[in-house]
Amino acid sequence: MDATATPTRIRFNRLLPYWAVLQTDLHQTAHSWVFRLWVLVSLLSAAGYGLYKYGIHHEAGIVQSASMQTGDLLRGVAVASLAFVALLSVSAVSSERATVADAVLCRGISRHQYFLAKWHARTFVVLVTFALLSAVILTGYHYLLDPDLTFSGGIAATAIALAALACVIAWGVTIGALANGTVLAITVFWMILYGTILLCSFLPDPFPSPSYVITQMRIILRGNFDEYRVGRVIAGFLIATCLGAVVGIIGFRRKDV
Amino acid sequence: MATDAAALVIETSHLTKIYQNRQIALNDATLAIEPGTVLGLLGPNGAGKTTFLRLVLGLHTPTAGWAKVFGSRMSPNAAALRRRIGYIPTNPQFPKGMTPIVYLDYIGRLFGMPSNSRKPKLAALIRAVDLLPHAGEPIAYFTPGMTARLAVAASLINEPDLLIWDEPTHGLDIEARRSMLELIKRLAADKTLILSSHNLTDVDEVCNHAAVLNKGQLIFQGSLQDLKGRIRKNHYELDIEGDQKSIAKTVQQIKVMKEVGMATLRHRRLEMKLVDDVPNSGVLAMIFQTMSDNKVVLVGMRSVGMQTEQAYLDMVEKEEQRGFTRLYQSAEAA
Repeated sequence: MDATATPTRIRFNRLLPYWAVLQTDLHQTAHSWVFRLWVLVSLLSAAGYGLYKYGIHHEAGIVQSASMQTGDLLRGVAVASLAFVALLSVSAVSSERATVADAVLCRGISRHQYFLAKWHARTFVVLVTFALLSAVILTGYHYLLDPDLTFSGGIAATAIALAALACVIAWGVTIGALANGTVLAITVFWMILYGTILLCSFLPDPFPSPSYVITQMRIILRGNFDEYRVGRVIAGFLIATCLGAVVGIIGFRRKDV
Repeated sequence: MATDAAALVIETSHLTKIYQNRQIALNDATLAIEPGTVLGLLGPNGAGKTTFLRLVLGLHTPTAGWAKVFGSRMSPNAAALRRRIGYIPTNPQFPKGMTPIVYLDYIGRLFGMPSNSRKPKLAALIRAVDLLPHAGEPIAYFTPGMTARLAVAASLINEPDLLIWDEPTHGLDIEARRSMLELIKRLAADKTLILSSHNLTDVDEVCNHAAVLNKGQLIFQGSLQDLKGRIRKNHYELDIEGDQKSIAKTVQQIKVMKEVGMATLRHRRLEMKLVDDVPNSGVLAMIFQTMSDNKVVLVGMRSVGMQTEQAYLDMVEKEEQRGFTRLYQSAEAA
């Protein structure tokens, strides 16, 4: 081994560490088996469900409203996706603890940059994938079933689902960053997520119980929605998302790795 | 070790780390490291060496006390300080699927090095650590020696002023270890190094200062000579020549000296232990005079036991025997 002498000092770029982690995590997430399984399961279930409803619609002659079926499917995909999204978000930081994080955080990167890069990478991958999946499902169902979907309704419904997923990702990354073990973090997060859904099912009508959400989703897909209310729901999710990220950044700042 | 705080590379004060109120990993470690120092961080397993290094790197936050690096307080967000440090953990882990070029490029970007300085540097380092033929191969298939060399390259890519290497010779074969030690000697010319090691031979060879940790307590810091100075200099082996009668007579005369606790002759090698409370130079002079009087030739002489190892073991042993007295002595010192 031979050490090389260097005559000049290096000018460091402070944003480069953020981009390095972001790019690497985008690549890693897109190549992870959890991500691939999620996409595969979502596509297969959407295709299977769609073909089944198409059969009923065209062969048996029972009219299948695209808005009703798409609303059901979007809700189903979103709820099933929660399991995968939770895995993807929680493992962002926690799976690297004591191995790669040890070799990354000891370099010229701050905890803030590392957390933000991980959060942004997972959010980007999940939201873009879900948006594409939703677009495929909405377009497919529009042509296969009774076409009562509207473009604005589809955008609004997808935006609500994306905002909800963004919130889940932010809290998932935060829990993963603050927990001491990946398995524990995933277990806790799943319990919180599905526990919240279960508790919401006991809520009376004006509150967002699962049955209320289904009904509202169908109405929104048909284009009959109040933009202000939809905006408020999205804003609520975004506030919760930012809150999750702030908790994560503050907590991770002093966390031992 | 140092007086001018502004010039210190590392300074810690009452550095303490308690994990989740269950384990005291480091207790009240106050240490100062000057530029150009090659410090051997010694201690048995669980002594707190890695905890100390991780606190200095800002990977852990102290429960009490503080650590300053290059005059500024180290924290998990002190990225600018870490840009001046090159670190090798005990068992370096590498992201799966990366090749050395991709990995070093990633590390360079993590330090914020722009492409025009990063790319030439990584190419030079890959060549320097003899990984050129394997530069495009996945790291997953590398031998321990190759991964150690890659870790060295990663720790040097940002041209650091301070190198913190946690057991750099761990798991290396003889050739790789020798190569690593030679590299450390060369780097020591213009960098400050902290080497955590179990291998006292390595520390003896490359370090000029030592710090000894035992059960989370810093029990020694100073030069390696100071550490060796604490050894009980009373156990020697002498290789001698001469006729059998003269040797027997000499040994007999040495045995009756009251300053000599034990003297045994085995195949012209005289092993002897001096009593503790006398200056060894005077006793040795008397022994040499006796040998000279009897016309016995001294072929060679050495201190029994490796000096640094002996001093280190003595220190740890004494520290463990002190028990509660250390509390009172610390209070008196304060």
